[in-house]
Amino acid sequence: MKHKDNVKIVIAESAPILRTGLTGILKRFSRENFSVTEIANGEALPMFLRLHMPHVLIINPMFQPAQNAAALKKEYPDLRVIAYVSSMIDPKALSDYDAMISIHDEPDDINDKLSTLLFEPEADDDTQDTEQLSSREKEIICYVVKGLTNKSIAEALSISIHTVITHRRNIAKKLQIHSSAGLAIYAIANRLVDLKDIKDNIN
Amino acid sequence: MSNFHKFKPTDKMYNVIGRNYSLISVLSRFGLSLGFGEKTVREVCESQNVDCNTFLTVVNFVEEESVGGDFVLELEHISLEALIEYLKQAHSYFLDFSLPAIRQKLCQALDMEPGNNDITETILMFYDKYVEEVRRHMDYEDKYVFTYVKSLLDGNYSGNFNIRNFAEHHDSHIKKKLTELKNIIIKYYPQTQCNNLLNASLFDIFNCEADLQMHCSLEDNVFAPAVAQLEAKIANEAQG
Repeated sequence: MKHKDNVKIVIAESAPILRTGLTGILKRFSRENFSVTEIANGEALPMFLRLHMPHVLIINPMFQPAQNAAALKKEYPDLRVIAYVSSMIDPKALSDYDAMISIHDEPDDINDKLSTLLFEPEADDDTQDTEQLSSREKEIICYVVKGLTNKSIAEALSISIHTVITHRRNIAKKLQIHSSAGLAIYAIANRLVDLKDIKDNIN
Repeated sequence: MSNFHKFKPTDKMYNVIGRNYSLISVLSRFGLSLGFGEKTVREVCESQNVDCNTFLTVVNFVEEESVGGDFVLELEHISLEALIEYLKQAHSYFLDFSLPAIRQKLCQALDMEPGNNDITETILMFYDKYVEEVRRHMDYEDKYVFTYVKSLLDGNYSGNFNIRNFAEHHDSHIKKKLTELKNIIIKYYPQTQCNNLLNASLFDIFNCEADLQMHCSLEDNVFAPAVAQLEAKIANEAQG
């Protein structure tokens, strides 16, 4: 999973203060886009998992009816299961969980634990937000908004389709624009193309 | 579970709206009109033929989502007919009122920047394409999903569609596109002067984005589970 995708988190904990407290902390991490659902009632959990396939389940190991972390992960292979621990507990009992959050954790620790679990490490993570587009990338934007396919762009620039796709992915990451109609606005605003060149391709 | 923070049938309708103004739109989508004086929630609902439990389920969900987001399955008492009617009204609100109103304001705001005519045109093209997408998404729900649920309510379960298909594919891409437009304007629009109208359009887009998010979340967390319960009930009856 990449940064800034919408991450669905579900907290299964019967104590209201522990539940809403953790939600409060998660909502304050602005870097990631967490959508948090709280579940107080054991019967609601299987239904929620089945319907919504959340990415992360943060669950009190004592949650009733008992949920077996290993079984949950077998049923939902992509689900990350984190133990939400409020008292002393035998570490062996937590071996099936992907991580552990204690009620005494600082918000930064919780953030680190989630980031480690969810996001692929990206070496250039710190710089990419401010990085300018390369001239090649600008060139590719022009072709995209004029309606060329990846294949035609590759031919025009004598590069492989794979390289075109990589460029497009980097452009989307740098600009946070994922659609070609969005790129068209960017291209016009930055005078990369003329309106008459792209008009037919947007309508 | 305790209900200390939930609105009850005996609460004054005015207090419900006063506490969270975004509930005004819930009121109107249920077809409830203002001017209810000192009446309670139950009295207002009964006098205007609205299912009180369904109304309160939606109101409490919206109120709860603004705080945290509790997923509770107390759905036996809601009326799916009333909920579908509500969701349809919400669709019509977005398509027939909110999105056109934003377009109009955006047009006026962009007209104040005559040097940027080309950009204005591309922004409006983006917007119109986006609205088309929202329309397709909501038409699909109106035509197929709601019709499916209505036939379930009549006791016909065909088995070739179930609400889980819907819930799985019901991502928030219609919200994401609006987020993208907002980001593009904020980051890349070459504004030459202070343009209050453009700022006001952005406020409207932020609001609409939150409203769409809430709408999708209601479909995911109230509508879909209620339909899933109905499906399970019908399947059980068929078996035994």
